[in-house]
Amino acid sequence: MSATQFDRIYHGLAPEIGKLRVANSGMAWKGEENEAVTAIPTDDIKWAQWIRVARDFQLRVGLKDRRRETFDGFTREDHDKLASLLKQHFGVTLEVKDVTFKGWNWGVTDIQGQDLAFLVSNKTAFELPLKQVANSNIAGRTEVSLEFVPLGSGGKKASRNAPDEMVEIRFYVPGIQTKLRGSDA
Amino acid sequence: GAGEKEGKSWKRFQSYKGEGAFPKEAESLRVTVDRKAQTIILPMHGFAVPFHINTIKNVSKNDEGDYTYLRINFQTPGQLAGKKDDTPFEDPDATFVRSVTYRSLDGHRFDTISKQITDLKKEVNKREQQKKEMAD
Repeated sequence: MSATQFDRIYHGLAPEIGKLRVANSGMAWKGEENEAVTAIPTDDIKWAQWIRVARDFQLRVGLKDRRRETFDGFTREDHDKLASLLKQHFGVTLEVKDVTFKGWNWGVTDIQGQDLAFLVSNKTAFELPLKQVANSNIAGRTEVSLEFVPLGSGGKKASRNAPDEMVEIRFYVPGIQTKLRGSDA
Repeated sequence: GAGEKEGKSWKRFQSYKGEGAFPKEAESLRVTVDRKAQTIILPMHGFAVPFHINTIKNVSKNDEGDYTYLRINFQTPGQLAGKKDDTPFEDPDATFVRSVTYRSLDGHRFDTISKQITDLKKEVNKREQQKKEMAD
């Protein structure tokens, strides 16, 4: 059975470029520098999503053990080809997730699986993996902060040209006070 | 009067209509400033998230050990520090991103970004002020 190959694809958030092959038996990513291969057998593939991220489009694959793998670097033109491959080999529909580019800082937070999603006009603005949250805090009733696990904590120090590391985000959540104000009226 | 009423209404703004206009630099997973779109793009766990300059209050920067920290503060309701409490919001009851903090070993780049954001903010404020004066 022949495999279809996509070049210049990233695995997860790592900086290394590699090739992703899709075939009847499953899919596999291999980096250009390391020999390590990430293989996902057909039986493990439960769902797939298509979403615009920083490095162009991302293929998100849901696995049977509730884990997921992400692959960045697809172009808009790859969508149709990928969608038919996933259907043909794994019987999975490539679901398109809408992303907002409005540039607004207000919206709604929503827990989606293992992520905290921030939605603007019902479209995803960003998602934060809750697993990466090291600490959270509520200040002054209306402010919630999330601190993230430092990437450099693995012992290996980041280089000067590493990606910028998000260490904290704070949300203003008027919930409680709004209710109190509302009951006054 | 009418002027006061006008000053308190929320004016619609938008960074991009779709992903097509998104700048290539956002791929770097670093904080970028798109002056043309009056937008700051923040990397968030693989996403590149645009924030229009109108949503931004200010930026602050500080050094701690080998790292430089860049904190971007946003306009939100209920900020005691804000002198003008009449800032209009489209939906004051929504959840707002209030601040995001990044760290990098490249303090020089954070210097540049911090300056770019501050300059863009000034530029937009100035233009806004001129518009108001013209209207008077």
